[in-house]
Amino acid sequence: MVLAVSSLAVAFDEPLVLLTLAAITLATAALFGAGVIGALTRMRRLLGVFAAMGVIQSVFTRGGQALVEIGGITLLSTTGLERGASIILRILIIVVSASIMSTSNPRDIVQGLSQWKIPYELSFMVAVAIRFLPLLREEAEDTLVALQLRGVRLEQMRLGRKLSMYRRLLTPLIAGVLSRAENMSISVEMRGFRAFRCRTSHRHLKFGARDYTLVFATALSVVAVLFWRL
Amino acid sequence: MIVAFDVDYRYPDGTDAVSGASVRISPGEILAILGHNGSGKTTLGKLLSGILKPTSGRVEIDGTDTRRMSLGRIGERVGYLFQDPGRQLFTSSVEEEVRFALDIQGIAEDRIRHRTEHMLDTFNLLDLRKSFPFDLSRGEKQRLALAAVMINEPDFLILDEPTTGLDVRRKSELSRLLIRTGDTGVGMMIISHDEEFARGHAHTVMEMDRGVLRRA
Repeated sequence: MVLAVSSLAVAFDEPLVLLTLAAITLATAALFGAGVIGALTRMRRLLGVFAAMGVIQSVFTRGGQALVEIGGITLLSTTGLERGASIILRILIIVVSASIMSTSNPRDIVQGLSQWKIPYELSFMVAVAIRFLPLLREEAEDTLVALQLRGVRLEQMRLGRKLSMYRRLLTPLIAGVLSRAENMSISVEMRGFRAFRCRTSHRHLKFGARDYTLVFATALSVVAVLFWRL
Repeated sequence: MIVAFDVDYRYPDGTDAVSGASVRISPGEILAILGHNGSGKTTLGKLLSGILKPTSGRVEIDGTDTRRMSLGRIGERVGYLFQDPGRQLFTSSVEEEVRFALDIQGIAEDRIRHRTEHMLDTFNLLDLRKSFPFDLSRGEKQRLALAAVMINEPDFLILDEPTTGLDVRRKSELSRLLIRTGDTGVGMMIISHDEEFARGHAHTVMEMDRGVLRRA
């Protein structure tokens, strides 16, 4: 469902289609108890960026009716507003879809992918990536705090200098990821990972009524959107 | 002086980490906070250093509420050592890490070099100056993080588990350094499991238990 909706969000850029997809994603996220409010709060911090995107789209895109014009230069147009709204909706769909994925236990994701005949090495990598994303965010936040506590006043810096400070977050993040990957590879091999060609599992996932309903609803939504817009 | 007035802190998931904590760190004084894992010691340290803002109550650094101070401004007065020192390193060499705080202040190069050499020597990092910080051992990272914080000559130091990963010799070196730093009028808070180390240095010892702070 997540794959279908986020693919449609990338394929179509009309605000009305994206609004419909956003509504479907939000409803599904609420149904699965995903942290929709948290995801939306995080989006709120990016509102300034989206507003800037709207202005940039208006200035550099021809067409539409000028809404704000200074000295013959269009600062805001109906096309720019539409494109800005499309970007916001697209990011909203992707963020909320990702929050739906986070409601699944990483163990279930590995199991689900394995039952789809995907090699378990690959399934395991996907599960590890999902498991470590929050940790990466936490590490980046800590490093940013440490950077500021050395006397870096980000609020007083020009954009270029600020970006060069943010660039510093990459070194510890990459070093941390590499070190963790090395430690984890030793740890999983010590526990017999890939010791045998086939892997058995005590756990077995089964499709329930809710899963069939969701697959049916997703297929119906995709077909409806395709018929509507193509 | 850093003062916390009846501070509460609740994490977004609803966990009450600190309840009604009132405490002060005075210049030249060493305050030790002891307590079990998860008792709220680190959260209290983060509140006093302005990293976290209280849910209720207030924390003041020399009379200014931390809610009205940016982290950059706080960092000019307060040095904070993270529990995991690897999280506060971000440059590509030990020397660059130590001198970073002075570089961004635009201090004269000869003065930066002099102070950097002094800190590298004090923390026994001279031989490691060209090393990549993330390749260091836990104890070396701890010393590097301390050197990088202390080069800024903060008025207050908040050290979260400063003895973790240090052997006996390094611990006694840290001990001498803390005493010397305290003598220069720096106020310190040591958050530690190492009761012997904490009691051996502190003028005041307090204990956290399930978010509640009391005199030990």
